[in-house]
Amino acid sequence: MTPSKDQILTALEGAVKRSAADGTELVYMGVRDATTRFAENGIHQNMVSADGRAIVRLVKDGRVAVSTTNDLSAEGLDRAITDAMEIASFLAPDEGFPGFANSETAPAVATFFRGTNQCLPERRAGAVADIVSMARAAGVQSSGLFRLTTNRVAVVNSQGTRQFHEETVAELSVSASDDASLGQGWSTGVSHDIAQLDVKSLGRIAVDKAVRSRHPEVIPAGEYTVILEPAAVGQLLLFLGFLAFSGKSFAEGRGVLSGKIGSSVTGANITIEDDPFLSVFPGLPFDYEGVPKRKIVLIENGVARGVAHDRRSAKQAGTESTGHALPADNPRGPYPKNITLLPGNASMDDMIASTPKGLLITHFWYINYLNPMKAQVSGSTRDGTFLIENGKITRPVHNLRATPAILDTFAHAELIGRDRVLYPQYSTALYVPAMKITAMPFVEDKE
Amino acid sequence: MPDIVAIEKAGQFVSERGRKDGAAYCDFRAVAVTAESVRLADGKPDLINRKVSFGYGIRALVNGAWGFAAVSDLGMDSVKATLKEAIEIARASGKLAPAPVQWPVLAPVKGEYKTPVQRDPFGVPLKEKAGFLQQMDEILRRTPGINSTSAFLDFRREEKWFYSSEGSVIRQTIVHSGGGFTAAAKKSRREVGERSFPTSGGQHGAGGYEIITGLGMEAAAPVVAEEAVALLTAPSLPERRTNLILSGDLVSLQIHESIGHPLELDRVFGSERNFSGTSFATTDNLRSLKYASESVTVKADPTAPGGLGTFGYDDEGIPARASALIENGVLVDYLSSRETAARLDRQSTGAMRAESWSDLPLVRMTNINLVPGQGTLDQLIADTPDGVLIATPANWSIDDRRENFQLGGEIAWEIKNGQRGQIFKNAVYSGTTVEFWNSCDRICGPEEWRIWGTPSCGKGQPGQNMRTGQGAAPARFTNVKVGQPA
Repeated sequence: MTPSKDQILTALEGAVKRSAADGTELVYMGVRDATTRFAENGIHQNMVSADGRAIVRLVKDGRVAVSTTNDLSAEGLDRAITDAMEIASFLAPDEGFPGFANSETAPAVATFFRGTNQCLPERRAGAVADIVSMARAAGVQSSGLFRLTTNRVAVVNSQGTRQFHEETVAELSVSASDDASLGQGWSTGVSHDIAQLDVKSLGRIAVDKAVRSRHPEVIPAGEYTVILEPAAVGQLLLFLGFLAFSGKSFAEGRGVLSGKIGSSVTGANITIEDDPFLSVFPGLPFDYEGVPKRKIVLIENGVARGVAHDRRSAKQAGTESTGHALPADNPRGPYPKNITLLPGNASMDDMIASTPKGLLITHFWYINYLNPMKAQVSGSTRDGTFLIENGKITRPVHNLRATPAILDTFAHAELIGRDRVLYPQYSTALYVPAMKITAMPFVEDKE
Repeated sequence: MPDIVAIEKAGQFVSERGRKDGAAYCDFRAVAVTAESVRLADGKPDLINRKVSFGYGIRALVNGAWGFAAVSDLGMDSVKATLKEAIEIARASGKLAPAPVQWPVLAPVKGEYKTPVQRDPFGVPLKEKAGFLQQMDEILRRTPGINSTSAFLDFRREEKWFYSSEGSVIRQTIVHSGGGFTAAAKKSRREVGERSFPTSGGQHGAGGYEIITGLGMEAAAPVVAEEAVALLTAPSLPERRTNLILSGDLVSLQIHESIGHPLELDRVFGSERNFSGTSFATTDNLRSLKYASESVTVKADPTAPGGLGTFGYDDEGIPARASALIENGVLVDYLSSRETAARLDRQSTGAMRAESWSDLPLVRMTNINLVPGQGTLDQLIADTPDGVLIATPANWSIDDRRENFQLGGEIAWEIKNGQRGQIFKNAVYSGTTVEFWNSCDRICGPEEWRIWGTPSCGKGQPGQNMRTGQGAAPARFTNVKVGQPA
């Protein structure tokens, strides 16, 4: 039985009151996950799970400790507090601990949709059936994910902070493929409201691309002009975020933007923000310390402007929290979860028509750091890579391995798309346009 | 500790009731996890955390299709509702199943398994653990130039109860311990020399606190610190084709990425196409693909002691057994489940594993062990007139068919006339899976062999982080592209 908002807040407040620590914070994270996966034109995995965990963080004599439990009974929460008290007793005082937040209640955001929350497996199967029909008609295989989650977060602490948020997320990802001809296509969409997901459109994009990318040709490694579809831009932005936008690494001097605030770091047409209030996909209105979120300008017209802070990194950097704390059991420090790259004014047709020779890239796979000091990554193209010649898409090509240094790559953004697309990855929402990059390196990769 | 009587009652109920309610098969898997993480940065606590989690999942096969439901409430009303939901989901799946699941009859399995533990890691006082890590910081900082350190210990105890409608009843207690450290010499953000021990992300295995004391962290620290300082001023590894010797932990990563993943049979059948991708090693290659040189034999072995893929039974109740995947270079089998193995008229290799009670089991790596050859690393280096030795994973990427890869180590040494020479940083190498493994001409012997632990292998949607092992010794590969253009 899923606990109600009042039951959650009452349970957390009771535990905070019973705690013998000098200060106590409890964060509740609950998720109901209904996921249908399909492959080979049929459903092969179909599930629902529900869990809720509480993260206790407390301070006793200046010593800070954390424990986590999914036993939300009074006894379970008290045991977690006892665990944290025992841990604290072994530790030295934490001089960097900024204390718990005393925050105003964050404004409520309309992100809960009953249709998403109550969607039955039959309806998920119906949506998959539409995609499968499209794939079969085109002679390709479809696979993918239709995932509906209901997430609830509450933060209560001994300083009087009391926050609660509930959201639903509907996510559809579609792959289409023809193994005999190596044709591949892919698309993805996300919304809080399942009614806003255009299942047929997403299916059509993936299927059409799989058909168009049949019989790819091998092209040599080297430097190419590339047009990155929004998902490809989003993947680079996500990895830049890991390296550049955390207040923890920034304050410790390890971040790509450390010591560079106010300096030009990439192209003048690049502005990157974290905006939890985007109307297209509003995020959690407060962070896991209960601090209301703020919009942050990270890079403005190519100039480094700021990073995401929690209370600890803000104290270290001599500033204020921006409301970007991750859960206390995460050692990575603050991180922006609603990253946007501001649009330009080019259409996809403009980008292709202005390219004498280049590549159109759907997205990348397995991006990983190659040289973090230079924000350089390595990853292969996937699900549809096409050659552009004399302003037209002429033929599909084999996947290639790109090794871009992300800020340098963005500095070569000749055109930026006017339309943005929401792209979810690793619990981060990226709202990004396509980009035309005049130079991206690809290394030799035999198929 | 959860209520064991209630777990047994729920397990018995599901295993008996599922068939009456229309499931051709169902299973109940309850899991209680206790985990502890102790992390220090620069000798000070960074994160010290304990976690407990309990819940159970019910899997039902109805009309040849699967449904799965998982919750943490063990009350009988909840158990009944969860079974009902799993069956309803399976019925919905059945309306659009790719093909009816083949489910060969399996005799009931009854058993118990416990990881052998000499010293219970949860009985070791936190003060001792934190004190040990503080000592590591002190030792590392004795090396001039070292100005940043981190060290950690991780422990996990997983208790599992498995009941199936076929009558299987299994109880397992699996204990994992791990630890490691990193030493860095930093001059500026871009000028950093960094080394890890025993490997990046530490070494993890099945066992108790004896794993930590056996890692030899204190003894290794001075050498590792010296290497970090040397990397600060080392040049990048220049691009060329040469003989490449990989350290054991890099061979482990290479096995993981280019043998383990491509031989997951669900992946081969396309189950992961939308996320993790597919595999070049399609089933028409079975018993014919010359995957590697004759010196390469690889076994999936969950019975091997001490690995993160060591257990008594997989999450379908299949007893652990060793099975060859590659025999003298030839592809002979896949990692499989009951369902996927049946599609090839084979027996499951017992590789169905779920990260937690709330996750569906998937075909995952167990311990993927490269059978050792002969000799020590020093002897291998001595027998190499020209080449490069790369050690300790630093970066890795491989395409969605597990064919083209680019991996890198923390450090490289030039090898000339059988001796280690200059040190290099940014030590990447690249290749294609079959060509690379066919170029393997020497594997070091048992004295250099160990099962390396990978505590967070991602797969599936929702994403699951599995704990896998790879048995490996240093090995040599010929004519490999190393380095990057200047």
